[in-house]
Amino acid sequence: MKVINFNNHKFQISKEGILFWFDKQIAIIADLHLEKGSSFGHSGQFLPPYDSEETLKKILNTIKDHKIKKIILLGDTFHDKNAISRMSKKVIILFRSLIEKYEVIFILGNHESKFEIGQINFLNEYVIDDIHFIHEALQTSVFQISGHFHPVATVKSNIKKITAKCLLHTNNHIILPSFGQYTGGLNITNPVLKPFLNNESKIYMLTKKSIYKFTSKEIEI
Amino acid sequence: MSDILKIEPIDNWLKKNNWSFYNHQVETLKLSENGFDVLLVAPTGGGKTLAGFLPSLNDLINNNSKKNKLHTLYISPLKALTIDVHRNLTSPIEDQGLDIRVETRTGDTSAYKKNRQKILPPHMLMTTPESLALLLSNKESKNYFKDLKYLIIDEIHVLVNSKRGDLLSLNLSRIHSISPDCKRIGLSATVKNKETVLKFLTSKNKAKILNVKETSFPKIEILETKTRVPWSGHMASYAIKDIYQKIQKSSLTIVFVNTRAQAELVFNKLWQENDNNLRIAIHHGSLEKEIRRKVENLMSLGKIDCVVATSSLDLGIDWGDVDLVIQIGSPKGISRFLQRIGRSNHKFDEPSNAILVPSNRFEYLECLSAIHSIQNKLLDETRDKKGSLDVLAQHVLGVACSEPFQVDDLYNQVINAWPYRNLTKTKFLEVVEFVKNGGYSLKHYEQYSKIGLNKDKLYAINNKSVRNRYKLNVGTIVESYMLKVKLGNKTLGQVEEWFIEGLNEGDTFLFGGRVLEYQTISNNNIIVKSTSHTHPKIPSYAGGRLPLSTELSIEVRKLLSKKQFWKNFPNQINEWLKLQSKFSNLPSLNGLLVETFPRLMSGKQRFFLICYTFEGRNANQTLGFLMSKKMLRIGYKPISFVATDYALAIWSMNEVKDVNSVLNEDLMLDDLYEWLEETPLLKKNFRDAAIISGLIERSIPGQKKTGKQVLFNSDLIFNVLKKHEPKHLLLEVAREDSYRGLIDLDRLSEFLKRIEKNITHKKLDRISPLAVPLILEINRQTINKSEMEEYFLEELENEMLSEVGLN
Repeated sequence: MKVINFNNHKFQISKEGILFWFDKQIAIIADLHLEKGSSFGHSGQFLPPYDSEETLKKILNTIKDHKIKKIILLGDTFHDKNAISRMSKKVIILFRSLIEKYEVIFILGNHESKFEIGQINFLNEYVIDDIHFIHEALQTSVFQISGHFHPVATVKSNIKKITAKCLLHTNNHIILPSFGQYTGGLNITNPVLKPFLNNESKIYMLTKKSIYKFTSKEIEI
Repeated sequence: MSDILKIEPIDNWLKKNNWSFYNHQVETLKLSENGFDVLLVAPTGGGKTLAGFLPSLNDLINNNSKKNKLHTLYISPLKALTIDVHRNLTSPIEDQGLDIRVETRTGDTSAYKKNRQKILPPHMLMTTPESLALLLSNKESKNYFKDLKYLIIDEIHVLVNSKRGDLLSLNLSRIHSISPDCKRIGLSATVKNKETVLKFLTSKNKAKILNVKETSFPKIEILETKTRVPWSGHMASYAIKDIYQKIQKSSLTIVFVNTRAQAELVFNKLWQENDNNLRIAIHHGSLEKEIRRKVENLMSLGKIDCVVATSSLDLGIDWGDVDLVIQIGSPKGISRFLQRIGRSNHKFDEPSNAILVPSNRFEYLECLSAIHSIQNKLLDETRDKKGSLDVLAQHVLGVACSEPFQVDDLYNQVINAWPYRNLTKTKFLEVVEFVKNGGYSLKHYEQYSKIGLNKDKLYAINNKSVRNRYKLNVGTIVESYMLKVKLGNKTLGQVEEWFIEGLNEGDTFLFGGRVLEYQTISNNNIIVKSTSHTHPKIPSYAGGRLPLSTELSIEVRKLLSKKQFWKNFPNQINEWLKLQSKFSNLPSLNGLLVETFPRLMSGKQRFFLICYTFEGRNANQTLGFLMSKKMLRIGYKPISFVATDYALAIWSMNEVKDVNSVLNEDLMLDDLYEWLEETPLLKKNFRDAAIISGLIERSIPGQKKTGKQVLFNSDLIFNVLKKHEPKHLLLEVAREDSYRGLIDLDRLSEFLKRIEKNITHKKLDRISPLAVPLILEINRQTINKSEMEEYFLEELENEMLSEVGLN
């Protein structure tokens, strides 16, 4: 894990892509896109229907050794409004155990619709100690932790290029990588991320083994 | 002969042109008349195509079977060939005023024309395996092919050992079930295993091979030059002046190269040399269709002096009277080289002329071996291939699109196709399950099943959209994502996405024979502008690299091992080898030479280990994977490796002192399976299989997906599938393709056994003469394994930290 100081609070990012706020016993996770795989079924593309199971197990396994009470899901938890109806029994059991073990806060994402998914109460935002938890970052000066963009970064050497999921930290923003098993990525060189990047930005690249920290200068944005 | 033949119009036409029938043409006709399926094996030239069409023409002219029905189907692996054959056939038909309609149908054919062909079928239709599959998936296809009398398959030898061949073979079997009396004629270049090709052509017992012997032998020489043959590289720039002179002396030359990058560069250099304003053109697969057509046309009109071409001009198209073929770089395979040589002097009884231009020193040895092989009639082997299950899945859906099928009937039809003759019923049913809803043990997609049993207990598609989607995904060629190159409003051609990723605004590169400046990407187009620069900043791009055939590899090894052969080598090659023998050692015929030496790389001390295996690039690549794995475990910290056809170079952070510890028979036992599961090749093959089988679509209507996204997603799917359904059909396909694509593993195992007690380890203090070409080759390939990435990231981070003074 690597420590990120944000608005005078101490956060820690795990290599799996979960942001921990241990002082408050909170885990923050973005963009699970549950049942993304099965959403292609209606068009005859039968992707292996095991992505939700993988995603949920990874959450449970990563946080089980830590003292966590609350989980904040930063939106796009479900890939679409019918996601729950497509879940297998196994996935439903896993999902239940998650919401029964922890207090889960659901932030509303653009893939979701506030009134149509199960009994879930979606929030547009959630605030703790002046830190706003939202789905998509806003260009304001409040401190925000968000997801939505699925950021990935590429580093180049003279031998090769490596692309990996990453967390962005710029002034008042933390943008989390997507967590879901089948989620792709948007390179941080993409213009839509420009407002949230500057020379002071820090980029934490996540690999299977570890976390590597770069500054935006080193990544040539 | 015309008496026997009684095809007066054709006979008249031949006479008019002062031609007459060849024996094998008459033979083909006779055999076919007597109910045989015929495989005609003949060198290029010699009226092979006419021989193929004679029985059909004869039937159309004499048997008055000119209904408005499809009578003859001609299938060729190349679109361009269908057009060429169409033109060649139209000539006698128009000349003699025959009432025979001949048309082509390929991916380039307009929707209007395709529709017209549906309503009013031509007598003869020229098409490709993919277009045939599409035709057969139409609802009314049974009716369309019902009266088919003749099937001609051109260049059949190139289809035998490929997924395209699997697709064709399945469709041939389907046609057989629709019109069982249809006769087949296969046209093939000279190949080693003719029997296999015949089996592929037909399952009938009444089938014969007609073998036409060469009457003349090609004249092949290696270009004599006073300039040095370079140590490394693939561009043969050193020989441009000499090549230009040869072109000048001939009336029409084809300069064959192996990659598009070579084509661009050679073309550019030739023009720099072009003081006499020769008309030199370029032809490769990335260029826009119109540009290629224009060049082909100019060739046939004799309005061009030279064409620089890749394999896009390999196969049997006759664009004009070529009198010289120059091959730059090793031809990499004997059969391919013969095919290329055949482009010159396309007349049966005159020898072809060819000049080989090795682009580096190892290739000089290869070129000599190629000539030696041709003189001794050693041909490359056409290996038999087991029919791929991803192709079968595509086919099963195609059949369901055309009409409901009964499982047993279709199974019997499928095993009648040569590549699938050993397919078990269980496997077949597994494929049907896969087509239905993905074939997962978790029955997740029942409600979306593509096919299902109808009230007659036949499998049918569940809705029309399945057919529409199928049509967008037909074919077995999965190309990397291409972007159009646009200069103003004009499209120049296409390049792979990865090439553009490495470019920055203002970078210049060669394309279509000109230097272009990259500006930006807009709407999936690469916007470029003309520039006054004559030297591009980015050398060019690779693509279409050919692997060295096994047979040629062996020949090179022999050549190197016997000093008595060397006296015929040019001085520079001789000196190079002598220097090597003084400085280190020379590779022996049966042992293995291993060299180790330290060397700086990007300012860092690295340790290199070179194995001169001469086992071909694929085997070396596999060996490279296995050895790095072992080195990693021992703690040598391998960084990367490069494999060529001749050798393997691995470099690491720590020195390998005991070579036997990383190079022994256990290598295969220890890591083979694990290695296979981790190779990027397996992931790539999985992606291809996922697309071919229809699990992932090539394109979703109204949704633009870039090739890159597909790759990313298929990797994720791959990992999940591996964990949850390790025996899934598509994983099986990907594994099989990987084994086949890499090497036959037996050969690597034999190699390791052979060399185990016979390794000569030379510990050097610097690079050896033989290793120079390899070290120069580095940077082109790197291994893509997560462990390596970790090292690299660690290093990069440290490097940066020390740069800012924190380390």
